[in-house]
Amino acid sequence: MRIVQVKCPSCNSPIYSKQRDQLFYCDKCNVLHTRNGGAEKLDFEIAEFSGSSSGERVFVPFWRLYCSFIIRSKSVEGGHVFRLMSWMKDEDGSGTLFIHIPAADFDPSTFKRLAIDYTVSSPKYRSRLDFGGVRRMPAMMSREEAVELADFVVVTMEAEKPGVLQRLDYSLTVNGSKVVYLPFVMGQSGLTPAL
Amino acid sequence: MADISVGLNCPACGGAVSVVEGESTLLCPYCDSTLFIEGDQGVTTIAFRNKVNREGAMKASRLWWSRGWKARDLKRVGRTIEVYPIYLPFWRAMTRVAGWICGYEIRRHTDSKGRVHEQKVPKEVMVLNDYRFSEIATDPGDLGIRSLRNFSGETSFADFDMIPTFEATTSRDDAVARAKSDAQSRARSSAKVSRVTMERLHVLPRRLSMVYYPVWVVRYTYRDRMYMTTVDGVTGQVLSGRAPGDPLFQSLAITAGTSVGGLAAAVGIIMSSVAAELMIVGLLAGGIILYITYRFFRHGSEIVEGEFKNKPASVSQTIKELQSAARTLQEAYR
Repeated sequence: MRIVQVKCPSCNSPIYSKQRDQLFYCDKCNVLHTRNGGAEKLDFEIAEFSGSSSGERVFVPFWRLYCSFIIRSKSVEGGHVFRLMSWMKDEDGSGTLFIHIPAADFDPSTFKRLAIDYTVSSPKYRSRLDFGGVRRMPAMMSREEAVELADFVVVTMEAEKPGVLQRLDYSLTVNGSKVVYLPFVMGQSGLTPAL
Repeated sequence: MADISVGLNCPACGGAVSVVEGESTLLCPYCDSTLFIEGDQGVTTIAFRNKVNREGAMKASRLWWSRGWKARDLKRVGRTIEVYPIYLPFWRAMTRVAGWICGYEIRRHTDSKGRVHEQKVPKEVMVLNDYRFSEIATDPGDLGIRSLRNFSGETSFADFDMIPTFEATTSRDDAVARAKSDAQSRARSSAKVSRVTMERLHVLPRRLSMVYYPVWVVRYTYRDRMYMTTVDGVTGQVLSGRAPGDPLFQSLAITAGTSVGGLAAAVGIIMSSVAAELMIVGLLAGGIILYITYRFFRHGSEIVEGEFKNKPASVSQTIKELQSAARTLQEAYR
């Protein structure tokens, strides 16, 4: 076991932080990177807060995965496959969608809620250039784990609609990924979106 | 998980930092540097500190002699001949399973006219859980230890020079594969979907560690025969052992078992004049009691506790086996 100081792969500045995070942000050259066998720079976006949001502001990291799917066959008792239909482009059952996987360490129910909400309705935002001193929640999930969980999100979207899912034969391909920091406000009732 | 940590030094300022087992990043509390752990293929190696001494191991072993169906004179006649500690290597993995299992179950109910109706009840069950897995990373021989039970305690490599250490002989990839398979099967059983039509489970290995764990081996004799116990070097509990059984308990068991089994069968035959099914029930009950009695008598000459490869089934395991066989028969009958 060897311990090394994390440095920016772009400007070689040491990364200082107050919290453990799988994604390392260099505030000198605005580069986000992760380490998986070696330093890997990541494509990322930061969404702007809405003007009306008040309270403790925080950015929550998500893996946004651009996916294509093909539904080959399906069976639902007392319902139908509903949500995937909205992204279907062709009659052959294929389509594309953005799947949002929360990368912070959430309990299973919050993870599920955020993943479904932002996948069903993709967030629209103006992007900003830096975090501007606003706290970032640490990312605890790698891209590989997010890709694995994309399939889980797709089935969850369908299973939680009316009817009992019995079979869904489909393929899902992740074509690209990006880290997106979405704005939230911490209140007494928990995290509230601040887009 | 947070109870195991390893002491290291920050490469930036030299300050002492504590690495929680399995974590890949940490922060230096002195200079705020972000630090990254580069392990052997992501495997953290840790060792538990031996907290038990020779006397403690012998005491735990002697206490174990007096429990259960062991020979009543074992404490008086048994002689400890050898006590020594060893380090055993274990793989320890944390695995997350996320997915869905869909299917249905068949529910049967009988109406007032005695007709049996079947109802197909569709089910969809989400699985999102973390599972912990451990297995020994070497050939344990006849130690009767195959997995870790305790996961907390002080960690240190200080005892490594003094205590003989078994080398790890199983591969990391095999351990990961078994951890994944174990998590998947536990996730399946937690979903309780009897007839599966669709299964999408994703198994994500999250942490893998090599844990060196101290174990005391206590060898003893009883009436010229050799036996052995192993004692946990952290908790002081007996992990496994072999001990002589008591002929009196075996005799009592065979006498009582055959009497009760025979009585149950006889009552069943007598009651067959009331209802024919009662004879079958009585004969079955008698047969089961006789089988359990036989198993106890057959293996009662030696009491075996722990994870031995060829360990004879205990009475409770025998009952579980019988329940499982009954369920299979019931399914086949339907």
